[in-house]
Amino acid sequence: MECAFDAQNLISISLRKIQSSRTQRGGIKLHKNLLVTYVLRNARQFYMSKNLSQAQRTHQYEDVAAARERQEYLELTGSFTELADDFYCNFTGLESGNWHCGAHQPSGQPAEVAHQDASPCAMASPSDPELMVPEACWSCADKSTWELPMPNAQANQKTVLDLDTHVVTTVTTNGYFHSDCCAQPKQPQGAQCYAKKRKMDASYHIVDPEFYLPDFGPVPCKRMRTDDDTHSDSEQLGSTNISNLISVLGSGGLSDFVSWQQTDLEQIFATQTICLKHTLLTGSGWTRAIEAF
Amino acid sequence: MAGPGGDMQWCFSQVKGAIDDDVAEADIISTVEFNHTGELLATGDKGGRVVIFQQEIENKNQPQFRSEYNVYSTFQSHEPEFDYLKSLEIEEKINKIRWLPQKNAAQFLLSTNDKTIKLWKISERDKRPEGYNLKEDDGRYKDPNTITSLRVPVLIPMDLMVEASPRRVFANAHTYHINSISVNSDNETYLSADDLRINLWHLEITDRSFNIVDIKPANMEELTEVITAAEFHPHQCNTFVYSSSKGTIRLCDMRASALCDKHSKLFEEPEDPSNRSFFSEIISSISDVKFSHNGRYMMTRDYLSMKIWDLNMENRPVETYQVHEYLRSKLCSLYENDCIFDKFECCWNGNDSVVMTGSYNNFFRMFDRGHRRDVTLEASRENSKPMQVLKPRKVCAGGKRKKDEISVDSLDFNKKILHTAWHPQDNIIAVATTNNLYIFQDKVN
Repeated sequence: MECAFDAQNLISISLRKIQSSRTQRGGIKLHKNLLVTYVLRNARQFYMSKNLSQAQRTHQYEDVAAARERQEYLELTGSFTELADDFYCNFTGLESGNWHCGAHQPSGQPAEVAHQDASPCAMASPSDPELMVPEACWSCADKSTWELPMPNAQANQKTVLDLDTHVVTTVTTNGYFHSDCCAQPKQPQGAQCYAKKRKMDASYHIVDPEFYLPDFGPVPCKRMRTDDDTHSDSEQLGSTNISNLISVLGSGGLSDFVSWQQTDLEQIFATQTICLKHTLLTGSGWTRAIEAF
Repeated sequence: MAGPGGDMQWCFSQVKGAIDDDVAEADIISTVEFNHTGELLATGDKGGRVVIFQQEIENKNQPQFRSEYNVYSTFQSHEPEFDYLKSLEIEEKINKIRWLPQKNAAQFLLSTNDKTIKLWKISERDKRPEGYNLKEDDGRYKDPNTITSLRVPVLIPMDLMVEASPRRVFANAHTYHINSISVNSDNETYLSADDLRINLWHLEITDRSFNIVDIKPANMEELTEVITAAEFHPHQCNTFVYSSSKGTIRLCDMRASALCDKHSKLFEEPEDPSNRSFFSEIISSISDVKFSHNGRYMMTRDYLSMKIWDLNMENRPVETYQVHEYLRSKLCSLYENDCIFDKFECCWNGNDSVVMTGSYNNFFRMFDRGHRRDVTLEASRENSKPMQVLKPRKVCAGGKRKKDEISVDSLDFNKKILHTAWHPQDNIIAVATTNNLYIFQDKVN
């Protein structure tokens, strides 16, 4: 079986599973959704840790001002292929008892790092300049290390993932959209585009009836955009295909990803209820967006 | 596996179900259970039906004994329902069937779907009354003026009729999906478990139950695990265990407190850090827990392995059997196609010497604990000639594939054996594929 295995893909798949579970007969399966959120969190933590490593790497070679700005936006450079390679991990636990993270080096040769150190979470030694990944990329024995040492505003960030183009965008609560991963090579004006405000009106949510369709295939509908989005997102999100934006809360615990409303009447009245909602972006087309908050 | 007279060989006995490759979802078998004597074999399906097979006893003493199970009773146990308050449809799928020990001529079983447990009485009727004074034989009432004499009605033989009637309905006690039911050894109570709670019932009382385990956190944001299976100890009426999605098993003593949130024992094996992956939580989730018949051990099934635990040792299992370790490198794909969420069951043989569980490609695995041997067999129509000996199968995990081996990539993950059952006394097993029930028995030499 082929396996498109990268953290972004796992996030996409996991969120799709959560969404499709809402339309499954018999109601949401609590057990399955709980397990899916574990995968989601694992993938997201790994993905964010790679973001951090990229940000830290670029930070070394830039002036403080530029580094501060870049760090704030958590912007990744490079082609999608390189980014996909960065996130590609081939688990060969069966063969060697280790898991490996393979990433293409500039020479084209895959670099495999076998992680045999005592810490189950460490991907590389801190002295390794090539793989500057935080040790606590995802927790194994120590569950408390789930929270990564992220730069400021991690608690106020939301990660928005386009399922079609695998564009991952980080939204801060101040309304800024930052593209973390571009399907296209980075455009010089990318930073300015993403610096423009895209205010998420949390009070405006329209449920798209097609949301309940189990199939995420393309639907011949226009996607609405804001004026801010048109220029910055047109290349990443595509112009004709429906993009399903999955927004996952960056902070908080496991249950941030999942809504229990449909299965537990008690949760309707619980504080900090987490739910999956749609967000329609205004503009020339419309985008089905599912936001967990 | 060594048995009486040498290595045991398994032979095909029967197959029940449709031959068509086009499987109706309602016909998918969801549970299989022998009764305490092994004479009856019950199956439940996604359509809410229960089918009971009965073993022909009269051939048992003959040479080349071949047990035959024939349909004994079929009835609709559960119907689809709709919870209007939550706008949820409640599936009619039978999640579990558990037989009650037989007390009289009738048989009793508990069947459950996601929300409701029912107690069914299965009784035989082979006589009917005849000669009523006030009624005709067809049931029409007579004109009293035409009655000139009195007679005593008599019972005359009739064709055997098996009746299934619901005697109790235990409803409205579970907010979440019921995954387990287990009859207590006191034959008066039973437990039902859903994702977050376990309730204790009395078989005679339907309007109330006692909550004995509640792991629902005050804030659902703090939810980290759910209950996946629960079972009463086979002899100690105060003891039960429940497994969790985190791979732990908790043994509880009902004498300690009314609410058994604090376990008496916690069985947990530390995770091997070298096997850590994105899917570690999923594959460590326990899908089934079964006590051994002698009550000294319990067995747990997670996605890749089976573990035997000594109830006196909590820190690690005494035995671990890898069911299909070759799938470890395929977890990503299995996650994509949802197979990683499959819940495999496991079972003991009558004397607790052999354990069995299912796998993919209609394979099932047996592990002989005493002789440390295991075998992989296949339930398929191609091997369904009467008394045909099953040939051991082997999966090639890597490298050059030998003859008669099947490669991992060739496995059909749509053909899965989730439910198996072992006759309590004899070497007869029932293996459920998607919509067929295979019955195998050991070859009589």
